[in-house]
Amino acid sequence: MSKHPAWRDTIIAVVVLIIVLVIPLLHRSPAFEDFIIRLSAMALFATSLNLLVGNTGMVSFGHGMFYGFGAYAFALTMQMTELSLPVAAVIAVVATAFAALCVGAICVRLSTEYFAFITLAVQMLFYSIIISWQSLTGGDQGLRGGIPRREFFGFELESQLHLYQFCAIVGVLGLLALRHISVSPFGQTLRMIRDNEDRASFLGIVLWRARLSAFTIAGAFAGLGGVLAALFVSGAYPEFADWPNSGQAIFAVMLGGIHSFLGPVVGGMILLALNDLVTRYTEYHGLILGIVILIFAVGLRRGVLDFIKLIRLGRAR
Amino acid sequence: MTRTRKPGLSRRSTLALMGAGAATFAAPWVARADSKKLMIGMQSILSGPIALLGTSSRNALLMEQDRINAAGGFLGRQIEFVFRDSKGQPQEAARLARELVNTNGCELLVDAEASSGAFAVQEVVRSLGVPCIHTNSETSSLTADPKIRAPTAFRVARQGVHDAVAGSIYLSGYANTNKINKWATCAPDYAYGRDTTAQYLEFFKKFKPDIEIVTEAWPKLGQPDFTEVITKLIQAKPQALFTLLYAGDLSAFVNQGNIYALFAQMKVATPNVDYPVLAAIKNLPAGIQSATRYLETFPDTPANKAFGEAYLKRWKERPTNWSWQNTVAMQFYEAAIKKANSLDGKALAAALTGLKINTPFGVDGTITMRDDHTTINYAIGWGQTTPKPPFIVDVKPSDWGKIIEYETEWKKQQKYI
Amino acid sequence: MDLDALGACLTTPACVVTQTTSGLIVGMLLFLVAAGVTLIFGVLKIVNFAHGTFYMLGGYVAYTVLGVTDSYTLAVLAGALAMAVFGVLFERALISRVYNSDVLMQLLICYAVVLIFDDVVKIVWGPEFHAMGMPAAFQVPPFFIAGGVVPPFYAVLIGIAALIAIILGLGLSLTRFGKTVRAAAINPQMVSALGINTTLLFAIVFAIGGGLAGMAGALAAPVRSLSPGMGFSILIESFIVTVIGGMGSILGALVAALLIGMVRGFGTIGFPQFTDGLIYIMMIAILLLRPQGLFGRAS
Repeated sequence: MSKHPAWRDTIIAVVVLIIVLVIPLLHRSPAFEDFIIRLSAMALFATSLNLLVGNTGMVSFGHGMFYGFGAYAFALTMQMTELSLPVAAVIAVVATAFAALCVGAICVRLSTEYFAFITLAVQMLFYSIIISWQSLTGGDQGLRGGIPRREFFGFELESQLHLYQFCAIVGVLGLLALRHISVSPFGQTLRMIRDNEDRASFLGIVLWRARLSAFTIAGAFAGLGGVLAALFVSGAYPEFADWPNSGQAIFAVMLGGIHSFLGPVVGGMILLALNDLVTRYTEYHGLILGIVILIFAVGLRRGVLDFIKLIRLGRAR
Repeated sequence: MTRTRKPGLSRRSTLALMGAGAATFAAPWVARADSKKLMIGMQSILSGPIALLGTSSRNALLMEQDRINAAGGFLGRQIEFVFRDSKGQPQEAARLARELVNTNGCELLVDAEASSGAFAVQEVVRSLGVPCIHTNSETSSLTADPKIRAPTAFRVARQGVHDAVAGSIYLSGYANTNKINKWATCAPDYAYGRDTTAQYLEFFKKFKPDIEIVTEAWPKLGQPDFTEVITKLIQAKPQALFTLLYAGDLSAFVNQGNIYALFAQMKVATPNVDYPVLAAIKNLPAGIQSATRYLETFPDTPANKAFGEAYLKRWKERPTNWSWQNTVAMQFYEAAIKKANSLDGKALAAALTGLKINTPFGVDGTITMRDDHTTINYAIGWGQTTPKPPFIVDVKPSDWGKIIEYETEWKKQQKYI
Repeated sequence: MDLDALGACLTTPACVVTQTTSGLIVGMLLFLVAAGVTLIFGVLKIVNFAHGTFYMLGGYVAYTVLGVTDSYTLAVLAGALAMAVFGVLFERALISRVYNSDVLMQLLICYAVVLIFDDVVKIVWGPEFHAMGMPAAFQVPPFFIAGGVVPPFYAVLIGIAALIAIILGLGLSLTRFGKTVRAAAINPQMVSALGINTTLLFAIVFAIGGGLAGMAGALAAPVRSLSPGMGFSILIESFIVTVIGGMGSILGALVAALLIGMVRGFGTIGFPQFTDGLIYIMMIAILLLRPQGLFGRAS
């Protein structure tokens, strides 16, 4: 480990960001740009879930509700007010954090399996509210009419290139923030709770408060992911908040590795690329995806990055 | 570092894994360079309880692909469809539309999504400016609402408001003859079901002010069991039931309704009966008032019958409403491309607007693309079911003059014009 | 909301009988599926997210067997038997590898199986829906109790499901095997230390769970449409049942399944647009007030 991990992380983030921003200047590929836009949303969504699953040991089955909440909050703010885009995004993220705080206040005291089930149940309730509250959300049709994309700081998000740049910047900055949280003393506390909650509690840590903070932060970043997703499809749809979408984040976390910070990002890449590639050649997309998942689950028994870490540890020994 | 091998952790396997990973990520962006062939993107629901919508659309398009290629293709280029399954999810529909154009190099789109997907595709088409024909969305606002209409997107499909006017005129006559005032409705609990039910009721009440709706039932789309819905309907003792259920849901509803003898207790009217649904319902009750979605015998012309027979011969089942709509979409593309001599979005849009083509599915052998990007003069009528072919008899064609008159009034009321 | 209609219904015998029958049939079929989920969890501590797939495959197998043999009885038995075998294979080939992993690994494997078999069904039976049709013996008019409608087919289904519930309950409380199962649910290490073959026990539990779900799929096939992915909604409902009734409790599953059936039966009259929401609220309330469920043991 370097002596200044925070500097090291920042430098890595800046280098990655520069590379991603330079690519379209050399060669325009709309497909690649679409991929990065979707990945930035997915990466925030899955990495924020891993703050709960990998860091704190809280398995949430309902993380999609905050992704959906962020998307609807952002899209509705843009449609109903004249606020500028970044302000609407901030409002959406703050509103999502508040929603996560409320949901968390109900859920975090429950133990592992029951926590998983209650998050699932709250999500399904939220989903059925989106479906029934037609006048606000457009029901199952989703929010129609597109999201107005008002120009700000020279960003014109109608343009594919600008949307790409915006999503890349927000995605990388968001991940960097999550990284800071995860290595901070607060992040250490969460890991201690995961490994031994009795010991943590003897040390004077208020378990529910730490868990609730983690749940709220994770919800806020999932909401930010939802904002990017809403920009990409120019609307908000109930599927964002449905259980298969929560499943996507869980699978991204599992495929990439729950004990590596970048695991969920890699997992998200695998899922998206697999989906794009397989749907191109066969309509039996589930069959292929299922077999790949089985290979990971039964063969590697862990995510890709965790597997590579294991190999490196094995070598070093 | 030691040289002892650990099981399952060899360097070779790691390299292989990384190689496979790299190939996975690189492959999606290697564009296909076959510029001679004209790729046409088609997306629809090809899985789940209403997969029939997608498969019967695809079947029709494959027949059109063969026909058009045999006739020399479009502008001398052979055409080839790229089919994609959105599973009916709007966000996946939006992604697929972008991918079909951006990655697969499709120059034309046939959007065979149901309404929820079609609205998502509409936004993508608006921003990409690619020519697109929606073939399965019946929700009127897709093209009627000027805020939602997109410059290069057209609809070749029956439309909710047309159906509602035609159905209400027919059913109010039926209700008058049989002295039926107490009605129940049963429709899937999502936008199509609710909006269309409301539209039917609005016109129905206009033509027959003394009807009474005694109960409404809203089962979920794809709900496995309709028992509680059926018993609720029976409890309310309506004289007739109007239902918008379709495909697998309609078949399950009829099968479950049969064991409650629902069809002996009330008259039933539905606009959504397709051939494969009729075939799947093992004990189809006679005398259901039904609209013609697609019927070989309506319009009763040799060309229409030939289409139905050719389809049956090739796919071993009869066509659906979605089959004719997709067929006509390709006929419109064919005529417009010939007229514009171009594949450009704007040029095609100009050529399509107001275009009138000859086709077996028109009420008088023609269908017109109106300047609000939607089709009129397609075959539309009501009759009643029989358990054996031709399945629907006594078909009465609807009056297009009246349909357009009331449609215009409705559009004014919605402030669309 | 239409509380007047609900009140009117509850005071009319005909309406009560009709809606109760409809609640019973929904509830009892749900029980058959949920019983397997709860049994498997009770003994193996595995949340079987692939249980809906057993239900789906049971229905399709029955559809094919009916087409070949023209016997509904054979079709139902075949659906149950095939899924019992499938359950054992699933347990041996996959689930046995993740007994010591966390719930996420189990979820991952089950999800993979769901994806694979939804597509296998698409390949074998086609993507479009199928309807099995009512067996000729049941094509008879419904009979009436106190003015309420009761279809004979449903009366038979309710009878079969109730019979199975009784056999299952008695089997678990009286037989040696049942005692082993209950002991394994409380302390698996001890059962294993006593020399009982837990491998066999686990396989049998999966056979029973799979068989029940397959049978439910087959029993429902004459009236419900068959389509790939149909296991999904039944899976969610059987989870709700398992959570409300208490993970691992057969009696709990029965009570909760009937409760949901009744909420559907009467909720459709009182709150037609919000029956699902009502069920989720019930689940949340149970998790908050009594996380182990109505009949579950506190851990």
